[in-house]
Amino acid sequence: MAKKADQTASFMVRFNQIIFEEDGESKVQWRGKVSHVQGGDDKSFSDFKEAVAFIQSKLADLTLEATKHETPEVQDSLLKKSFSLWKTISKEGPKVILETIKDPRKQVANIQDQISYLGEDLMDKVHIDQWRNASRSDFNTIKDSISALADEVKKLNAKVDAISTPAKTTKTTKTTKTAKTTRATKKK
Amino acid sequence: MNPLSDRLIELKQFQKDAIIRIQTLGQFHLWIHNEKIDSKKWGRDKTVQLLQYLISNRQRHALHKEKIMDHLWEDGDDRDFKVALHGVNKVLEPERPSRTEPSYVIRQGISYQLDLEKVWIDVEALEQYIIIGNEAFGENQAIAKEAYKEAIALYRGVYLPNRVFEDWSSEEREKIQILILGAYVILAEILLNENPLESIRLAQCAIAIDNTWEDAYRLQMQAYIKKGNRPQAIKAYQKCADVLEKEYGIEPLPATKNLLKEIENI
Repeated sequence: MAKKADQTASFMVRFNQIIFEEDGESKVQWRGKVSHVQGGDDKSFSDFKEAVAFIQSKLADLTLEATKHETPEVQDSLLKKSFSLWKTISKEGPKVILETIKDPRKQVANIQDQISYLGEDLMDKVHIDQWRNASRSDFNTIKDSISALADEVKKLNAKVDAISTPAKTTKTTKTTKTAKTTRATKKK
Repeated sequence: MNPLSDRLIELKQFQKDAIIRIQTLGQFHLWIHNEKIDSKKWGRDKTVQLLQYLISNRQRHALHKEKIMDHLWEDGDDRDFKVALHGVNKVLEPERPSRTEPSYVIRQGISYQLDLEKVWIDVEALEQYIIIGNEAFGENQAIAKEAYKEAIALYRGVYLPNRVFEDWSSEEREKIQILILGAYVILAEILLNENPLESIRLAQCAIAIDNTWEDAYRLQMQAYIKKGNRPQAIKAYQKCADVLEKEYGIEPLPATKNLLKEIENI
């Protein structure tokens, strides 16, 4: 059996958000760097697809290394399955985030289940049961308030646009965010 | 007295007074009563690793034993953990009487953490200096300058360089790198008029850590102009443009391009 360390690939992803103005228009640019912890390699990217390709190639190396004693047929089949799993993750990951935005109540219930597993003490402190009682109408109220606010902002923007002349100024702000280490462990 | 300058004095004093001092940047060293501990005293590598793990996770209070074991051992059992913990305590407190609680590694049930009020660690101090610098920046430049200088003085290289392939250390390494990049650039900006040569050096330090850090190139360009060195300012722009093209396939930001135009018009 292969060691756990040999079956683990960790990645550190750094994103630099750069907001700047050009020709009177606000723009955002993302610059990033993804590092493979165990191998020490890294890759700079301005398109996240490049980071995904980098991660994918490191995971493929992991599968190839773990299956080097297998026949080429078995190795090929495992590699395809490995790729397919990665494709599912990259396809389903954003869906989970979208679901959370669309149905927060369901996600609160999920968190509730996970926390209640930790014991009664925590339940007492958090009083999370009260969250569960939030109804769909509560969320609709929040949604309506946000829509009303968005309309107001739209109107204000229109007013500002009407009174201001675009100036050719350039201003830059930079924000750096580092994604927590992503650890992919393959168990045999 | 300014509370920020009080904090600065306290931090410096703690570095002098702490019985245990740990260096993690550039190299790993430990001093007890100002005496450097020989690496042979650690015995097993896992003992050092356990202390380094506690340092890396020092801000996550009370680390559960199982979690520590999961990160440090392939198939470790309780005994492995106890041996390593005993090793750490023995190095930190060789004279501790048996059946007394350790002073530096605090135990709460089956959770463990380092006592940061007693142990001085370079990365912790570096972060505290940068916090003071950031709080003072814009309000009290003298304190900000001093705090960033202290932080930079502590940065002697990458965090735990012999553990770069261990994923439990990578988060702290990344955090420190971002903090120090910011400190270099902000201090270079503060010193731009007062000492442009130092600004150039500080910006170069940032570029040595991350050669795509565009702010640093822009500061170098400005500092070279302050020194009246137009060719070097243009050279700094070219270097920036080449690196961004190679690494990202993009051009410098409008702010950098505009600065070049200004320099070319001089």
